[in-house]
Amino acid sequence: MRTHKARVFLSTFLFGALLLVAGCGGSSPVATPPQTITNTGSNVQPISVNPGPTGTYPDGAFTSVTLCAPGSTTNCQVINDVLVDTGSFGLRVVGSALGSLSLNQETVNGNPLAECFSFLDGTFNWGPVQVADVKISGELASSVPVQVLDDAFSVIPSATCTGTPNDTTATLGANGVLGVGPLQYDCDSGCTSATPAVDQYYQCTTTAPASCVVSSAALNLQVQNPVSLFATDNNGVIIELPAVTNPQATVNGSMVFGIGTQSNNGLGSATVLPMDPNNLTFSTSFQNTTMAASFIDSGSNGLFFDTNSSSLPECSDVDYYCPTSPANLSGVNSGTTGSASVHFSVISADLLFSSGDAVLPGLSAPSDGSFTSFDWGLPFFFGRNVYTSIAGKTAPGGDTPYWAYPPN
Amino acid sequence: MNTMRISAPSRRKAVRSAWLAGIAFLLALPVATSAELGGDFTSVLADQAHMKATLKTTEAEAYTVHEIQAPSGTAVREYVSPAGKVFAVAWRGPFLPDLHQILGASFTTFTQNVQAQRMQRSGRGPVVVKQDALVVKSLGHARNYFGKAYLPELMPQGVKDEDIR
Repeated sequence: MRTHKARVFLSTFLFGALLLVAGCGGSSPVATPPQTITNTGSNVQPISVNPGPTGTYPDGAFTSVTLCAPGSTTNCQVINDVLVDTGSFGLRVVGSALGSLSLNQETVNGNPLAECFSFLDGTFNWGPVQVADVKISGELASSVPVQVLDDAFSVIPSATCTGTPNDTTATLGANGVLGVGPLQYDCDSGCTSATPAVDQYYQCTTTAPASCVVSSAALNLQVQNPVSLFATDNNGVIIELPAVTNPQATVNGSMVFGIGTQSNNGLGSATVLPMDPNNLTFSTSFQNTTMAASFIDSGSNGLFFDTNSSSLPECSDVDYYCPTSPANLSGVNSGTTGSASVHFSVISADLLFSSGDAVLPGLSAPSDGSFTSFDWGLPFFFGRNVYTSIAGKTAPGGDTPYWAYPPN
Repeated sequence: MNTMRISAPSRRKAVRSAWLAGIAFLLALPVATSAELGGDFTSVLADQAHMKATLKTTEAEAYTVHEIQAPSGTAVREYVSPAGKVFAVAWRGPFLPDLHQILGASFTTFTQNVQAQRMQRSGRGPVVVKQDALVVKSLGHARNYFGKAYLPELMPQGVKDEDIR
């Protein structure tokens, strides 16, 4: 116990010292209006960066959503600790978090529809696609197909749905994932053909012998970004989190729905950067390298990028960067039109993790040069209002999908 | 960083082996039922069949690259050594390839490592697994995935991490 306290004291002290040093050097960001975080409005949902339900989630933004049986205002359940993810589309909720709420099962040819949603770490989300009314702040999305995560649903089709199931609060580190990224449908045309290009949706039987086979899923049956189904304020979201310089237990911010639809969600000084509509990428220039497959993703709990700088050594024990003092870096993000500068800091992951806190500014890790990609994860969002518009919707500032932030 | 820059010592296997003996001949072989990193060249064909994909082959100095283009839009590149072993795979595209299929026997090692990392610290970000016998890097987000995996001990001499792309 004493050792731990001593470590915390030491790391706090080191932080102060390092930040002091950092403050004296490095280039200063260009002048930009101070950040305003919107706290009130029927389109404003509180979010919080905190340790999450497992207590071990670094740099994850959580919120709560209310699910109701379609058309009901009483048969509802509040789901807390849902991860806010601008890198996916649609709501996935751990089945046990629904309590006694039962939703309407989506069907194809009279058979229950299920989904196997693969993740890049070899895990997958499995469970039925069910229809719910989704309420977030004062907004309502009616009859939204959501994925209810449940390993016990029918039988996981092991030939094509491979890897480790990730369907509990313990493994997910959250009670669900709210995908509010720049698309409406989680599979689009990849799943609509009779023989789909992507093995993601399944028709199942639930009575013995239960089994599932790959199924097409028409767009209206697919899991969908609830924001795109709001009656208003449905063209995108703004994630607003305050600047953070030291590790903290928690910070609070807002998720604002709609762009330019209300008095509280205008673009302001943000620069619009249209994305490639197919893969939602843009270009990041950093250290004389242009990374054309870069992306914005609140669900990535760090900045992930390749570097040729010796000032960013890797940590000895974890695959993160461990600079001896905070590294103040800069780059330029460019959309299909427009560009915006970005200044950011990288802080030693060993130092950050030793704090035991969940809010870790500057947490960064190596990527791979061959990927030509800069992953702007949650640390990017601290101190910036970050806009993501949804493809197919009209929004001020340019063609959707775009993202935007005030250059600094 | 050192573990990322593989300087392969000379490998008797690679020296001993002949170059790929005619793609046309191999294409005529029956397709193996399991494909994998570390498997034989025939496993490339199994991956192609599994992914309902087209296949393009390019020969480099120390290895042959087979690019499998799936209908989903995702491309998987499989690197075959002169010894006929798949020593590396790389992927890029809008949907994840079946990682279990293309990593083969290494998939379990990969997922066990990821589970160990997640046990220590929850998370949803990209993953890197770096061991003496297996390196996997998997990044991206929906509609934009990329990754690579290789077996350092099977890498032909002189082939480096950055050659796998």
